[in-house]
Amino acid sequence: MKMLEGLGKIDRRIIFLAMTIAVIFPLLRPLYLVGRVGRRTEELYKAIDRLPERSFLLISIDFDPSSMPELYPMYLSILRHAFAKNLRVIVMGLWLTGTGLAEEGLRTCAPEYHKIYGEDYIFLGWKAGITAVMFGLGRSLKETYPTDYYGKPVDSYPILKEDITYRDIPFMVSLSAGVPGYETWIAYAQTRFGIKVGAGVTAVSAADAYPYLQSGQLTGLLGGLKSAAEYEYLNEKAGYAKAEKPASQLMDSQSLAHLLIMILVILGNISYFAVRRKR
Amino acid sequence: MARSLPLSLCFIMGILMVIQFFIPHPISQSFLDIIIKWVRIIMAFALAIGVRSITFRHYERIKRQKGEWGFSLVTLIALFACAFIGLFGGVGPQSYHRLIYNHVMVPLGATMFSILAFYMASAAYRAFRARTKEATLLLIAAFIVMLGMVPIGTAISPRLSDLAEWLLSVPNMAAKRGILFGVALGGIATALKIILGIERGWLGGKR
Repeated sequence: MKMLEGLGKIDRRIIFLAMTIAVIFPLLRPLYLVGRVGRRTEELYKAIDRLPERSFLLISIDFDPSSMPELYPMYLSILRHAFAKNLRVIVMGLWLTGTGLAEEGLRTCAPEYHKIYGEDYIFLGWKAGITAVMFGLGRSLKETYPTDYYGKPVDSYPILKEDITYRDIPFMVSLSAGVPGYETWIAYAQTRFGIKVGAGVTAVSAADAYPYLQSGQLTGLLGGLKSAAEYEYLNEKAGYAKAEKPASQLMDSQSLAHLLIMILVILGNISYFAVRRKR
Repeated sequence: MARSLPLSLCFIMGILMVIQFFIPHPISQSFLDIIIKWVRIIMAFALAIGVRSITFRHYERIKRQKGEWGFSLVTLIALFACAFIGLFGGVGPQSYHRLIYNHVMVPLGATMFSILAFYMASAAYRAFRARTKEATLLLIAAFIVMLGMVPIGTAISPRLSDLAEWLLSVPNMAAKRGILFGVALGGIATALKIILGIERGWLGGKR
């Protein structure tokens, strides 16, 4: 009985150590656990896959480095998919602290597909006045973003020679770690201008996005690292990407971490019931 | 005057924006264009006011050596150093600004995120108890979703991910939708109170 009670008093340091091992071990010795592609991931993947060649795809980087482990692999996968499909990619962000990640992703993926800045993709960066920016894109991109991230006029690039609005962008994806994020895009761009919106969110906030999926305001959802790994798998299966798959590599770690948390909760409950019975 | 002018402006603009939203007339659209430009200008000034506000707030704390004033010092140094480096050295891929971003901000952000796993494990172990029927239900649902969200769950049973998806799509969505309706109605009520001048907190606490 004492042993059962003791299960509820495991030292915090032991828990931290166990978690460290659960995360690091699969990185050194991969378990190659294979998941199944979820319906929501497939919806987003297909929405991009169906876009005609040279269509515009808008990607909004609405996260910062603190959510990078989950959302950055999604960004890379979507970029690779878009470049492989020969889409014209416009990248911008609602989070100032995410601009560096947005640019880094473009610098990583564009050379893999021999894409040229200003012809195949453009980076608009961040701008103050989120609501105004979102409304503005519905009226005129050139007026909203007269220059790109590097300060050069956007109409000096072939990709934005003609002014565009949401009407010219058949699909957009918001990779979002909070507010402003996909909900802001739904409120100001989807509802008002009718642009189709897909979202990539952290696993903890995925549950919040489900009402928007059923209402049709969201077209596809990537929830956490699992969806990022699924997207990597879909890209590889279609022959769109041969690069490393960071999310898939991390899924083993996440699997073991989830398992460890569950074991700890079970142990805690065994101890709880043992103490309760004694009383 | 100091109170009635902002209140009147808020009332007029609030009503105009509501009307504008529902009338897709060219006049209404050009009105929106003007407003968008104004908002952009106001936001640029708001940014400057924000910098001023954060500077004075932390400067006061440092001056009085109040509480953990060392953090205020770090905040101010980081704020001005980054602004200086960004303004005079540029923000391009080879700049010092990018160097700071890649080698300070990114690892610090990722560290903050990753330590969550340790605290969550410890907190779940100590607090997640099947004390009541509701808590037991929550515990079972959490286990199914946690397993359904990782490949190990599919390895145990392929049905787990379907069950997790059902939990998210049906019971979770019903609850979330209720919350969303509540939040939206609350938002509308608050907006109306601000437009009609009933809620005046935005004018400043002492007014």
